[in-house]
Amino acid sequence: MSAPDQDVPDIKVKKLFRKTTFGVFMLFGVIGLSTSILNVYTVDTHLSEEYISNSKGIAKTIADASVDILLNRDLAALQSLIDQFLEIQGIRYIYITNESGEFIAHTFVPGIPEEILQSDPLSTETAERTLTGLGDFVEVGSPILAGVAGTVHVGMDRGLIALKIQRAIGQQMWLFVVVGAIGVVAAIWLVNLAAKPMAGLMAYAVSLAKDDEPANPELLDRDDEVGHLARLFRHFASRQSTGGQ
Amino acid sequence: MLTRRTLLAFGFAAPWLKVRAASDFAGVSEDEFLLGTSAAFSGPSRGLGIELYRGAMAYFEHVNRAGGIGGRRIRQKIYDDGYQPDPAVKNSTTLMIEDHVFLLFGYVGTPTVTRVLPLLKKFQDRDMFLFFPFTGAAPQREPPYGDFAFNLRASYGEETAGLVDNFVAVGRRRIAVFYQADAYGRSGWAGVRKALARHGEQIVGEATYRRGAKFTSVMRDQVNILKAANPEAVVCIGSYAACAAFARDAVDLDLNVPLANLSFVGSENMLKLLSEGRDDAERYTQLLVNSQVVPSYEDDSIPAVREYRDLMARYNPEVPAELVTEEYTPFPHSFVSLEGFLDAKLMVEILRRLGDNPTRKGLEEAVFTIRDFDLGIGERASFGPDRRQGLQGVYYTVVDQGRFISLTDWQGRFANVGA
Repeated sequence: MSAPDQDVPDIKVKKLFRKTTFGVFMLFGVIGLSTSILNVYTVDTHLSEEYISNSKGIAKTIADASVDILLNRDLAALQSLIDQFLEIQGIRYIYITNESGEFIAHTFVPGIPEEILQSDPLSTETAERTLTGLGDFVEVGSPILAGVAGTVHVGMDRGLIALKIQRAIGQQMWLFVVVGAIGVVAAIWLVNLAAKPMAGLMAYAVSLAKDDEPANPELLDRDDEVGHLARLFRHFASRQSTGGQ
Repeated sequence: MLTRRTLLAFGFAAPWLKVRAASDFAGVSEDEFLLGTSAAFSGPSRGLGIELYRGAMAYFEHVNRAGGIGGRRIRQKIYDDGYQPDPAVKNSTTLMIEDHVFLLFGYVGTPTVTRVLPLLKKFQDRDMFLFFPFTGAAPQREPPYGDFAFNLRASYGEETAGLVDNFVAVGRRRIAVFYQADAYGRSGWAGVRKALARHGEQIVGEATYRRGAKFTSVMRDQVNILKAANPEAVVCIGSYAACAAFARDAVDLDLNVPLANLSFVGSENMLKLLSEGRDDAERYTQLLVNSQVVPSYEDDSIPAVREYRDLMARYNPEVPAELVTEEYTPFPHSFVSLEGFLDAKLMVEILRRLGDNPTRKGLEEAVFTIRDFDLGIGERASFGPDRRQGLQGVYYTVVDQGRFISLTDWQGRFANVGA
């Protein structure tokens, strides 16, 4: 019986399941990476658009509210109005120019930045600005009385917008990592669950091939694929031992 | 005899009677007028609220001790807003809705008053008026809120126009503005701009600071911004702490031009900050020229000043202990407390003219009866449907030997400054 002993290698199923586990990891990785990229892009785009949209809304609100005040020439009331809007998180500066481009109310301290003074005061195009000593901003504008009474400009802090976006993305990524980790652990557990009876079946088949005392005889009682295979192996082994009759 | 029915009826009616009593009280009772005040009693501008209150209380105390007005004493319900708009709005709501004050009196500051004015419009059916706020801003003098306030002092427009006219008259046409970044600063800025436009000039440079700045704040950036504009005079529209910090840094950085301040600055507090602990105080104060809306409290020839000094010495009013949260040493006399005194004097006259059955509805009519009323300062006060400001006088002062004196010779005072 030495020949069969030499022919039967010590087969292990771990390699197969290790590959499966690795595959699961890879799959999760690809899903995670692609979802993250899409997520970052979507959140960044949507939140940026939302902030700019809100800023435009605020600029328009100020522009609409400014008409009466401007026509009454009460600049203290106008300043009081924009000071209240400055309390909204993210808004870092507001300035209003009259129809000739003169700065008639603003919130800059210690003075109006040179970059603002050099820009077109009547333009209402959305612009990205870097103001020395103050930071980076997205500036939106809105005309007052279709521009014939002046313009309102609102500067949003890009740093704060970026921070908000990072925080939103971070929260989503954190959720994804937690769900992914639970998924991987569950996948490993399931693979191991499937691998255990397969390893037992392998050991049983090897013991039959070696004419040894059958390992894991309890497999024969199983009412599943492993049990069927075990009984099939036993049948082949008994036929081989009776000379194939 | 009290029957069961009577007792039951009284039991049901009692809460209703209580509510009626509260709403009918409306700030005036058989023995009291209740005035509501929200002002700065804490923070860097607390000196203004405290001095204004002291001046007013000196006169109210005098009237109360003499039996009040028709037997009614004057009492002030006071809250601290720290010169911040949101607390001012909250305090005013409390004063009107919960405390049922008769009227609002002695508020301090433009950013605070500007935000309170819409409240008065909201409660216009209650005939609630704001009397004599310590601000010269336009919103409480013009539509849509001018009908809800009465002002005694000259406006910032009149103060800045006077300063600009005098500077231009002595050849100083290049004028820059240093101002508080809020409604008060903008009000003064607009006044300077308008006054310069009359002379065919524009503001040559401007710099700002945030409300709440202290004397320890560094104003070098602001000074450098204005220096770059090469001004011949700077008009400062700010609080005493910030303006004193600016004056200090201006002198240190050789911005050697007249530094004008408005009445709101609180001249004595500014002078104290610039002088205290310095051997060379004159160097930091010689450039100052402060406009005032009341005459000098040093001038004993003025009857109201004599009365003010007498009553201040006699009563030496103190702010209620619950409002004292920060150290402050009051001045025996100051422009701000003299203004408070005159505010109180005119307020008493108006309350007196309400007669034996005072109501809020009668207030406006009583104010309009004030015509050429002699407060004892030379200029007479008048009010009317189109006149919500009693006085127009502006006085100019400079520092001499550690105190503010009247300025009469602009040319002589500033001839060699910045030369």
